Amino acid sequence: MEIAKFIPWLPLLAAILSGICCMKRSLRDYASWIVLAAVAASFGLSLIAAKHITPESGPQVVHFFEWIHAGSFKADFSYYFDTLTIIMLFVVTGIGSLVVWYAGGYMAGDKGYARFFFAVGLFIFSMTSLVMGDNLLMLFLGWEGVGLCSYLLIGYYYEKPSAVAAGKKAFIVNRIGDLGFALGIFLTFKEFGSIQYVDIFNQTAHLDTESATSGMKIIPYLLMLGAFGKSAQIPLYVWLPDAMEGPTPVSALIHAATMVTAGVYMIARMMPVFLLSEYALTAVATVGAATALFAGLIALCQYDIKRVWAYSTVSQLGYMFLGVGVASSVGGVFHLFTHAFFKALLFLTAGSVMHAMTGQLDMRNMGGLRKKMPVTCWLMFVGCLALAGFPLTAGFFSKDLILGDAMAKGIGDHNGWIQVLAWSGILTAFMTAYYTFRLWFRVFCGPEHYVMGDDHHGDDDSHGDDHAHGHDDHHHHAPHEMPFARMNLPLCFLAVGAIAGGFLCHHWMESMVNASSASTVNTAVEHVATTVGHATEHAVHAGEVAADVHAEAGGHGHASLFGMDVHKAVMIISIIAALAGIALAAYFHLLRRELADKAKENYAGVCDLLENKFWIDELYDTAIVRPLKLMGDLFFVFDRLVINGIVALVGFIPRLLGITVRHSQTGVLQGYGLGMILGLACILLMVTWMLSSGF
Amino acid sequence: MELPFALLLFLVLIPLLSGLLLPLLAGNDAEKIKTFTLGITVINFFMSLLLLVGYDFSNSAEYGLVFNTEWFSSLGLTFSFGVDSISIWLILLTTFLMPIVILGSYSAVTERVREFYIWLLLLEAAMIGVFVSTNVIFFYICFEFTLIPMYFLIGIYGSSDRLKAARVFFLYTFTGSMLTFAGIIYMAWCNVAAGGMWDFGFAALSTAHQNMSDSQQLWVMLAMLAGFAVKVPIFPVHTWLPLAHTEAPTSGSVVLAGVLLKLGTYALIRIAIPMLPKAALAVAPMMGVAAIIGIVYAALICWRQKDIKKLVAYSSVSHLGFCVLGMFAINVQGLSGSVMYMINHGLSTGALFLLIGMVYERYHTREMAQLNGLAKVMPIWASFMVFFAMASVGLPGLNGFVGEFLTLLGSFNSILMGPVYAAVAGTGLIFGAIYILYMVGKVVWGPLKLPEGHDDHASGGASGGHHVTDLNRREIAVLIPLALACLWLGLYPNCMLKTLDAPSQAIVDRVGLEGHEQPLGPMHRHVENPLPTHPAQLTVLDHTPSTDIATAQLPGVHQ
Repeated sequence: MEIAKFIPWLPLLAAILSGICCMKRSLRDYASWIVLAAVAASFGLSLIAAKHITPESGPQVVHFFEWIHAGSFKADFSYYFDTLTIIMLFVVTGIGSLVVWYAGGYMAGDKGYARFFFAVGLFIFSMTSLVMGDNLLMLFLGWEGVGLCSYLLIGYYYEKPSAVAAGKKAFIVNRIGDLGFALGIFLTFKEFGSIQYVDIFNQTAHLDTESATSGMKIIPYLLMLGAFGKSAQIPLYVWLPDAMEGPTPVSALIHAATMVTAGVYMIARMMPVFLLSEYALTAVATVGAATALFAGLIALCQYDIKRVWAYSTVSQLGYMFLGVGVASSVGGVFHLFTHAFFKALLFLTAGSVMHAMTGQLDMRNMGGLRKKMPVTCWLMFVGCLALAGFPLTAGFFSKDLILGDAMAKGIGDHNGWIQVLAWSGILTAFMTAYYTFRLWFRVFCGPEHYVMGDDHHGDDDSHGDDHAHGHDDHHHHAPHEMPFARMNLPLCFLAVGAIAGGFLCHHWMESMVNASSASTVNTAVEHVATTVGHATEHAVHAGEVAADVHAEAGGHGHASLFGMDVHKAVMIISIIAALAGIALAAYFHLLRRELADKAKENYAGVCDLLENKFWIDELYDTAIVRPLKLMGDLFFVFDRLVINGIVALVGFIPRLLGITVRHSQTGVLQGYGLGMILGLACILLMVTWMLSSGF
Repeated sequence: MELPFALLLFLVLIPLLSGLLLPLLAGNDAEKIKTFTLGITVINFFMSLLLLVGYDFSNSAEYGLVFNTEWFSSLGLTFSFGVDSISIWLILLTTFLMPIVILGSYSAVTERVREFYIWLLLLEAAMIGVFVSTNVIFFYICFEFTLIPMYFLIGIYGSSDRLKAARVFFLYTFTGSMLTFAGIIYMAWCNVAAGGMWDFGFAALSTAHQNMSDSQQLWVMLAMLAGFAVKVPIFPVHTWLPLAHTEAPTSGSVVLAGVLLKLGTYALIRIAIPMLPKAALAVAPMMGVAAIIGIVYAALICWRQKDIKKLVAYSSVSHLGFCVLGMFAINVQGLSGSVMYMINHGLSTGALFLLIGMVYERYHTREMAQLNGLAKVMPIWASFMVFFAMASVGLPGLNGFVGEFLTLLGSFNSILMGPVYAAVAGTGLIFGAIYILYMVGKVVWGPLKLPEGHDDHASGGASGGHHVTDLNRREIAVLIPLALACLWLGLYPNCMLKTLDAPSQAIVDRVGLEGHEQPLGPMHRHVENPLPTHPAQLTVLDHTPSTDIATAQLPGVHQ
């Protein structure tokens, strides 16, 4: 088990080696292999760790070295392993390996090849530290570390101003959330006297909503701000769509599968603290459901393939928040797990399309690519099925669990609001199915047509000679399939996960999550049960698919919808929603495309609003960025004219005197001194005033 | 390892003497002078490393390596040296930065070379003198003496507006210090008035507050702030700094940001706060407010700068706000964080100034409008720039974060401040990211744009003419130690923090602030009781301490 503490450090070592590879052109191509080997090795170590950490074994802390100690404050490089850590490690290192594998082919020939893998290695280090840390500050270290990598990778094509701006935006918007997170850490230290999970959970075990202090109840609200920033939820989601400026493997790994789920992880990890507050989880659920709906709406009308997936990611993250928000950690984490597979698959196949079309991303400029890229076509189809929640795919199980749990909680608690959220989730499921297949039908079906892009891969000094996968240079004129071993094979693994990850993993997932700190079975549900007036019973309906298997059904056992068990009813409704969405997409985008265009004309206003993303970026710019800039300008002027001016003005008095007494230039200098004294006198006056009122 | 107490003496004397004797020792040959100076500063650095290796940190609340010798004993003047862990880290910062500064200005300074290095050596001696001194007069002499070399460094080797900058710098800081000096004398006089001797040792002065009323303490505190706050600088007495920084040569900026500003914060933490405990408690909330205004105000100003160097200069005002905030939180996290911040700011901001200097040497401009996308022509420089920018915005895992986090944590949990202080100061995290990334986004990333007359060929290999090359070996050698130090202190700050617990706790005890988590030591109970828990209750215990002193001196009077 001790060896598991090297999980983050191997990728870091690989990153350093890649950094060295940056310096020598001849070494450049080794970078991908080094990082791939390291990430795969970390995956191996995670498997070893998984052997030791089972639902029965309980959590384990592995100490590495001391980090920050000051007085009673303590934060170390130590790692906390529980079943939730294991799940997250599987996602990060597993999906990470596959994406690095793909990226080795995708990025081939790029000038910044080694730089890319340096950042990816650093990212895996940060992300694994994030999920493994045994205290909030380690979580924060990983949190900011992934933010840096995200910044570097979004701005990877650094000669493109839009990429630079997008990287900057991502970092700064994240920082806004991080301020909340940091304050949450401070408050946690104040209330619990420690920021180590073990200490916190020991205390929360003896607390409930009645006995928790008011400070403790504020902590979740501060922490969730951080989560909203990192996981791109309302109001801080604006950075994620822009983040698609980065290379596509980055979008898949960082901005879909792993980094953006850190917020969900954080809430799941800190679930015991969230449960101390009456309304915190409801707030999370509300924001989640609202984001899911809102981003889903925007995705309906986007034409850029990667942007559709980006808004879809925001929307799916909203589901995860809805899940953890209704105390269905299993649902939230399960969806995180399955989403990692199918969204990575979708992004990477989109990347293949983009690669094949030399940078073309606008779906209006492509169609009928099925024949040109058969493997990619069907791989994406699998991903689309999972995203749409087609029955028995991975996305179906996890999304359904969230919706079922939400509805059950809403009905069980007689909480109308939660029910509204659950219904909005179902509506989103319908939209998801529609926009997913809209894209697929548009790109791969119908008459074949394509307009090649003007490849903005940025490797303008490497024309011709060093295209490693040797299929072409920039002057080809038709899309083509990707090389199998280097790029499509890793996608096949993802496709298997997207299909089978649901029914193979849901039992495992449930026992794993419920054995971790994210568990709501022993605390929340019992609490719910007693308030509703039912005894806790773990109604495990073995043999039924997905929904009822969920152990949390305890408190909601008696809830029913349309005369059926809630989970069953929701399952049926969401199957209908998914199929209806797919059918609608097929109608508008496969069978009768002209109708879609007509509809667009008829509802031009709505489409305009959606295409322009509700003008939110513009709103933020006007309401926040510009006033701040103006303030900066004002302060600068104030600094030069008023503060410096006072000094200069006072400096002028002796000069005036000096004219009459003697012609000396030094009057100005004395003036500065005098100005100083006058300024200080003002401060003194302020202080005496403050003191006289204070004492 | 037993260290000879003379080590401290050597640390001051070596640069002092070699500076004075430089013309004799190294002649007039520029190359020889450079090598000699570099050698001296490197030797000094290794000697100060002995402190780190050999010093007994187990008792780090007390001064170690104490050395006293008579000077004008009747006036209470002695040469007294000693260090504790706070001063050791600052000495190390100084001796570490000096060789880097010297190596960094090899190519920047081409005229009046000998004089330049003499001033740098004298400056080093004075700065170390401040940190080793345990007598306030000697402290003050060194503190003020730093102005003279700096005045010449700015005035002779600076940019176009250097003369004005040098004079403003000198007069601004000097005027404030005069008041400080008066305050110091007054403190010593309070001891004398209570029947003591003239004694300017730290130990004697730290009991002076027992003979002072609250308002006396407050006035002395304000006098001290007059000098120290200007030096730091704290809003609103900061306006000399951007000017001085912008006009100073690279080496001057590095030393100014790296060490000279720390003289102000060091003086606050060493003299103002522990020697005037009640006044410290009384002004703490206001200092907190000033610090926070400085953080936000300067950060927003940074964002609107067009000159890279001015941006970094204003960022110092913002950063030092954190330092002051943590210090006046007066709890262990705040104080330790504040000391940590002093070191970290010296490293990362110093490095940023060096990097800007390197660009200036190549393009002779610092205008962001003229310099875009340098990553393409100077990838190594760009990597370092991003690295130190991240250290500067406080990315966890690099040094800047630790101090920033601890100072904010300290202010959050301080009964003198509270969550609102930390929350408002915390916006500095956001604004810090905004202005640094704004600069990096312009200068490092984006499409390449160079000033006219410079070839914008992307091929890095070509040299000569107007082709600009990436960093050379010397420049990389200058930056590597800084980068390693940033990384080391980011990943293992505890090597420093664990030595700072004791002195920080000692200051907390001395000020008598009963934090909700720090038990007060027995020593403290002996001196002052009942313990003040809030500034508002302080008036109660005005008389007790002075009677303590009086009774203690009674036997002597009888004899």
